Amino acid sequence: MDVDRNWLPMKWPCGPLEIARRNKSASASAGIRDTLQAWARPSALELLKGTPVNCLIVDWADGGPEDSAQQQALKPLLETGRGMGLSFVAKIALKGDAGVSVAAARAAGLSAVMLENASGLSFELPVIGQFPRDKAAWETASTIFSATENVWPGLNLQTMNGDTALAGPTGIPWVNSNAWFSLLAREMAPGKTLWLDFDPPASSNLLHPAAYTLAVSDSHAYGSRWIISLDDQLRAALAKGNSQAKGVWEKLCESAAFFEEHKEWQAFKSQGILAIVSDFRGDNAYLGGEVLNLLNRRQVQFRILERAKSLPALEGLKAILWLDHDTPGAEEHAQLLAFVQQGGLVIAAAYWGTADVKPTEKDPSLRYRLYNVGKGQIAVAEEGFQDPYQVAVDTHLLVSRRNDLVRLYNPETTNCHSSGESVSPHKGKRLVQVLNYSSEPVASVALWVNDRMESARFWQFGAVEAHSIMGRPALRGTEFDLPPLSVYCALEFEGTNL
Amino acid sequence: MGAMGAAAGAWLARPMMPLARAVPAGRVAVGTCREYGPEVTGTLARMFDQLGGLEGLVRGKTVAVKLNLTGDATGRLGYLPTEITHWVHPQVIGATVQLLGQAGAARIRLLESPMSTSEPLEEFMLQANWEPRDFESAAPRVEFENTNYLGYAKKYSRFWVPGGGLMFKGYDLNHSYEDCDVFVSVAKLKEHVTAGVTLSMKNCFGITPCTIYGDDSPLDEPSLAPRGGRGPFHEGNRLPSKSAPPAVHAVASKDPGYRVPRVVADLVASRPVHLAVIDGIHSMAGGEGPWCDKVRHVQPGLLVAGTNCVATDAVCTALMGFDPMADRGTPPFETCDSTLRLAEQLGVGTRDLSRIEVLGTPIAEARFNFRQS
Repeated sequence: MDVDRNWLPMKWPCGPLEIARRNKSASASAGIRDTLQAWARPSALELLKGTPVNCLIVDWADGGPEDSAQQQALKPLLETGRGMGLSFVAKIALKGDAGVSVAAARAAGLSAVMLENASGLSFELPVIGQFPRDKAAWETASTIFSATENVWPGLNLQTMNGDTALAGPTGIPWVNSNAWFSLLAREMAPGKTLWLDFDPPASSNLLHPAAYTLAVSDSHAYGSRWIISLDDQLRAALAKGNSQAKGVWEKLCESAAFFEEHKEWQAFKSQGILAIVSDFRGDNAYLGGEVLNLLNRRQVQFRILERAKSLPALEGLKAILWLDHDTPGAEEHAQLLAFVQQGGLVIAAAYWGTADVKPTEKDPSLRYRLYNVGKGQIAVAEEGFQDPYQVAVDTHLLVSRRNDLVRLYNPETTNCHSSGESVSPHKGKRLVQVLNYSSEPVASVALWVNDRMESARFWQFGAVEAHSIMGRPALRGTEFDLPPLSVYCALEFEGTNL
Repeated sequence: MGAMGAAAGAWLARPMMPLARAVPAGRVAVGTCREYGPEVTGTLARMFDQLGGLEGLVRGKTVAVKLNLTGDATGRLGYLPTEITHWVHPQVIGATVQLLGQAGAARIRLLESPMSTSEPLEEFMLQANWEPRDFESAAPRVEFENTNYLGYAKKYSRFWVPGGGLMFKGYDLNHSYEDCDVFVSVAKLKEHVTAGVTLSMKNCFGITPCTIYGDDSPLDEPSLAPRGGRGPFHEGNRLPSKSAPPAVHAVASKDPGYRVPRVVADLVASRPVHLAVIDGIHSMAGGEGPWCDKVRHVQPGLLVAGTNCVATDAVCTALMGFDPMADRGTPPFETCDSTLRLAEQLGVGTRDLSRIEVLGTPIAEARFNFRQS
């Protein structure tokens, strides 16, 4: 028996365990207790009929006195849910032996358990391992694995002045996104499925559909899945049949269903002529993560290569950012030097090329020494890699915007991701997904892609079929004027021919 | 450095030039050009010939060309590319570069201070989806420099304002504005929310580096990279870095409509403009960029060039449907002082149309009323 990678998970907080947890944190009002009790009733599952949600995460045990009561209270819910075709995953938060709780979950008909620190242990049920994302245990990631300590996607509230988004140092508004971590997970745990665990901000009023559809989009567009988690107000309102809350829920489900209908996109590869190479572990994890995040925010498209594996063929790449401070091993060194000698650019914190090359300066704003080696260059940061923001900016400029794959005009709070059947943007089917991180729609956004094409298949949530939008020839590519964008859209291209 | 550069250097030695000198008149050429295309080069060539030809001005010289690329490279008015609304069009730049090269310019340096960044100017252009190589191939030796920071020099160049200045006694600028023999301002024909109009003179507001004059520049010394916009000029909310020449008055108005025109007049008095080229083929009305309220795309179909920036801007102001002799309270200077008047007072040039020789298409025929379009 194994987990089902088609599961679309949702947290289903209810029953004595959650009530006890809320009581301990003094966040259990009478209304919240009512909601938690209501959601434990089988009738609450009516909400899921006709939706793509097919897997519920329920609290099962935390080693406290409520464990038994919780498992008893869930029985009717589990029975009804299984009858509806739902799967249940037991969340077990135990520091000690989880064997008894897992056995109880199996006996109660649950399909899997979610556990922290589960590596090396054998249980009677499949395990979904969970870890904080800064302590990623990539080697032991289960078929489905989950990461905590993610961010709620959207505009960074600390950089808001009233309704106005303040710009970051890039001149573009700061946004919170888990995109980089999803991209990293695809490289570090290939063939496995990441569930992102994050909850709505406690202080927020999220009865706005865009907030939830963005949470879905920021996960699915980058190849992972969000464990759907509703805020207290929305759950309470849904339990009471509130029509506005139903509208929010329907929009959330519509976005999730959209991605279910386009599962083939999940297999698409990130495109980029720039590769970011690191082991992304230990001392290198922070710099690596930040650089990925900041490059993504600049709309730089990249591929991630993990050092622990042998570097793959570097075909299709024009530049490599060697992030780690230590120099490449002998095999990597030979491969990188060959890449440079054939015209590639390697950006590094220290020079490790051939000894007889003297550096030149490129531009006074870029504090790099450039070593011309063969037909290519090694660019070495004069002061090493210290500030991830500067590393991202410099990398973009050293590689040059001439090599951009996509670019947004009037980007405001939007970002985009280019993927396809091939890592090359010029082979096979190509997809560019555009996300808006504001709850307000954006207008007059134009997408430039580095390819010549007459039109694109344009997708938005709720659309059964794509409609065609015409491109406008532009320098080195094509521009598409996007209709007003609420949260998400995707453009599919086929047969590109630049 | 040639004679004109030496003249600029003379300002360095003589910071308190008296104002009592004759205000230069000027010749201004007006050309009609409905669209961007091959006709831009022909129209500009004809206009430069009307002005007496470029050869005498630029042969064998280093020519610095300040472009007007205001705001960021991805912000647009609707879906229209920046060059159709608020940036000078690359075809106007390319044609100017080509004609300067044909006239014998030894070295042509394209300059701009892109907003909040020290990145290479070519990269800024690429972000707007321009091709900088087109400019490089338009003349024998074309260079680019981002002048929003120190750039390639070891220190900033100091430009004192003749007569002591209206807002600041002098300005510290990127070396490119000193290391040239001829200075060209290539601007867009636009209204400006703070200054009424933005033309060849207001374009020079952007020669100031935000490492010194930025909102977040350090108090004592310039920063390495530009920080923020030019709040110290606009609102006087703080002083520039102390390393720069001081303000004329210890206490000055905080009104941007008072301050900005004076800074601009100071700048064109201290760093003279030898050739002004204005792109008015397509533009926007109602403000200087898409960030302004109630702006709209317009198509005046005009090119304007002149050897005196005040005279050129006066003709442009008239072409836009305004009276260049107008001042605060009268369009387009409803909320600001007239840069034209202030520059005229500093002896830079005349705004009196009766003293300006207008060549090519007469103003009456070419006028495009920005407020009634």
